[in-house]
Amino acid sequence: MATVQMPDPFAQVPSLGPERPVVWPARTRRKLANGLEVVLVESHTIPKFTGELYFRSGNAVAAATAKSPGLAEITATVVRTGTEKRSSRQIEEDLRRIGADVGTSAGADTSAIGFNGLAEFSGDLLKLVAELAQQASFPADEFERERRQMIEGLRIARTTPSFLASERMRRVLFGAHPYAIIAPTETQVKEYRLGQLVEYYCAYYTPGNALLIAVGDFAAPQMMEQIERIFGSWKPATVPVVPDTTLPELHGRRVHLVDLPESVQTQVVVANHAITRKHPDWLRLALANSIYGGAFNSRLIMNIREQKGYTYSPRSGVHALRQHGYFSVNAAVRNDVVAASLTEIFYEIDRLRSLAVGEDELSDARTYMSGVFSLGLATQDGLASQLSTVYLNELPDNELETYRQRVRALSAADVLTAARAYFDSPNAQITIVGDRGQIGDQAGLFGEVTEYSAEPE
Amino acid sequence: MNELHIPLETAKLENGLRVVISPDRTAPVATLGVYYNIGFRLEPRGRSGFAHLFEHMMFQGSEHAGKMMHIKLINSSGGVLNGSTHYDVTNYYESIPSNAVERVLWLEADRMRALKVDDENLRNQRDVVKEEVRVNVLNQPYGGFPWLDLPPIAFRNWANAHNFYGDFADLDAASLDDVQQFFRTYYSPANAVLLMVGDITPDEGFVLARRYFGSIPPGPPLPKADVGEPPFEGVRRGEVEEKFGTLPAFAVGYRAPERRTPDWYALAMLDHALHGGRAGRVYRQLVLEQQIAVDTGGGIQYPVGDLFDYNGPTLLVSRVLHKPEYSPDQALDAFDAVIDAVRQHGIEQGELEQVKVKFRSEYVSSLEGGHGASIPLYGLMHYLACFTLFDNDPSLVNSILEGFLQVTPEQVRAAAQRYLDPDRRAIVFRKPTKKAAD
Repeated sequence: MATVQMPDPFAQVPSLGPERPVVWPARTRRKLANGLEVVLVESHTIPKFTGELYFRSGNAVAAATAKSPGLAEITATVVRTGTEKRSSRQIEEDLRRIGADVGTSAGADTSAIGFNGLAEFSGDLLKLVAELAQQASFPADEFERERRQMIEGLRIARTTPSFLASERMRRVLFGAHPYAIIAPTETQVKEYRLGQLVEYYCAYYTPGNALLIAVGDFAAPQMMEQIERIFGSWKPATVPVVPDTTLPELHGRRVHLVDLPESVQTQVVVANHAITRKHPDWLRLALANSIYGGAFNSRLIMNIREQKGYTYSPRSGVHALRQHGYFSVNAAVRNDVVAASLTEIFYEIDRLRSLAVGEDELSDARTYMSGVFSLGLATQDGLASQLSTVYLNELPDNELETYRQRVRALSAADVLTAARAYFDSPNAQITIVGDRGQIGDQAGLFGEVTEYSAEPE
Repeated sequence: MNELHIPLETAKLENGLRVVISPDRTAPVATLGVYYNIGFRLEPRGRSGFAHLFEHMMFQGSEHAGKMMHIKLINSSGGVLNGSTHYDVTNYYESIPSNAVERVLWLEADRMRALKVDDENLRNQRDVVKEEVRVNVLNQPYGGFPWLDLPPIAFRNWANAHNFYGDFADLDAASLDDVQQFFRTYYSPANAVLLMVGDITPDEGFVLARRYFGSIPPGPPLPKADVGEPPFEGVRRGEVEEKFGTLPAFAVGYRAPERRTPDWYALAMLDHALHGGRAGRVYRQLVLEQQIAVDTGGGIQYPVGDLFDYNGPTLLVSRVLHKPEYSPDQALDAFDAVIDAVRQHGIEQGELEQVKVKFRSEYVSSLEGGHGASIPLYGLMHYLACFTLFDNDPSLVNSILEGFLQVTPEQVRAAAQRYLDPDRRAIVFRKPTKKAAD
């Protein structure tokens, strides 16, 4: 009897099938008469909608003008605790009644009122968002409570290695620039006055300073009409312009050691100045970062995690703030391999600056970047996040449509150029947070060491 | 409005592997996962942390895809991947452009069929896992609080009570034999479900599932497991030192009912009324109104699991970080007053109606997200897996909401009285060793 030989399906890795086209949904954009910029995208995956009302001012502006770091953040926090029409409790119960969430927050460059809720109640939710943006009442007792909450939160943050490392690294990179400060001190929080919050709110929560993004299960024309009705009467105002400050020039590698006694692990951050999201080299740098330490199969992770087992989740990243950017490498490593980890971190940086990447590795990284980008299409949150990047950074309107094609056009020379320009190995700043007694000797191998305590300056 | 119509198709291969496909052509991407019906509850005695260590080993190589190949093949297809270990399941998942579906199935099938790892891989991942435990628990304020603190206080059966992340001595003791033994025992097709959600047609998905998974032997019958827990009696108290954080804290655990019992639906609504954000009674009263606490949170399996992904004894947890000017007993008394009120009076009809709308809204969001935008439809995959492995009925993903929306105020009050019993619970206190400033 003849036997039929079945081919072994495991003999070969299946090749990738033909790609289905990636089609980004249409944006509906309008600038209202009061200056509010609106961007809408329909997405009917679930009967919900999500979005953000951004203001293009955040903690950096507050630090520069009011000399009050964190003021934008406490302002955002207190915004949700009362309006001329609703008490704090009323706001929370109204949100629950319509199945919605609101989150108010502030970063370095923006303040935001984020929202998501059931599409059937979109009008109610947008009315509340508009109220928070225009008629926040800043109740004194709510402010005092939030002030204390912030102080307690800061005390805990000051015992968290990743926070301490970011804090020190940002101070080193940004010097006198407001981007140097990621959190206020307790004393600064105690000095906030309610009037400062109100001033900040009046100055920056204005339609001409705002961008409203909404994605979800609605018809865009009707949603635009609804937004015009709800936000159209918002009074315009001019927003103060804040001048940029220059950054410190950093020459030579230096080590900044933050002592955290009893730490059973060491947080390591290597960082240097880089570029903003609008810079023409952004994609080149993003690809170089992906190859270096931005993806699971990147060189850094394969080296210090998969080969050497020094750390669990090393990562590198390119971080774009509005006026400046930076590149950083982060790893929480075993105390006895701090020096060994730094050696590998710099080895991989220097290798990428010295030798062009091979075609296979390049092609894999390009496919990774363009593939992961398209995952953002599948969910309302993913779309909202992509739109935020485009419109907050004032990127071209066809940014999403051309992204994959531009990634695929990048060459080994692009990666080499970007690595040489923006992975600034000779002037990289090393921040180490850990138990000085256990790691001090290792730190000194990489440059002059400055020691700090975990207490605020 | 409350009925969901998520399309589902299911099949069972001859080796017992269940396959669930939910097509959605919104975007040319898919999320695939394999869920094994084994979590840290059933790891071997003397091998605490092993189920999770084993999860790491599943990325270390299989017969046709050696070390690093798995990760490289997914990333270089434009996708991302990960795995996670839970009480009763362990999952492996990928989000990818849909032209890589076949490649992912090849990889998942290869590691279900033949894990191929060596001592070097084990040493490497043991080191990685220790750094994971340090970064998440030992070197973090409130690390492991309360998910690692409560079980040893609340439970008596080792399966439910041990250190799930693993004592380092146990991690060190784990051998390659343990790895292969665990693999043979639990990682069989009959003990797993394959999920495909997103841009895949069921016809195509089933053909590929058969092609790659069909020839895997079914594996030996599963050993009998005893996760039984004697009834809670008395108040079980414990203390854990807080080395970093500056605030005192406590967590309370009440035994939760079995999934899909009438009490479970009612307790889920009560849980939401208590712990649902800033409107929840615990946060509103302790943080916003009385201002004794600085932060609170809670839920069934909080904070490492959810309402759906357990299949054994578990806890309804409430966690409170409070101001140092209040003693732990004062803070606990204030918390107990909130609980006592719902035991006495239940919750109001209007409150319950609000909770139901919010619950429905969150449920729908969790299907699409559940893991951030980087893993589209993670929640849908996760719930489909749990409903398949634990209930043998993935269509519950469409119908389960109804049970919550029918809960009455009387049922909530009865559940509060039955489960939130001040005389039958576990309490753990985190005591800061550092004194806060001022």
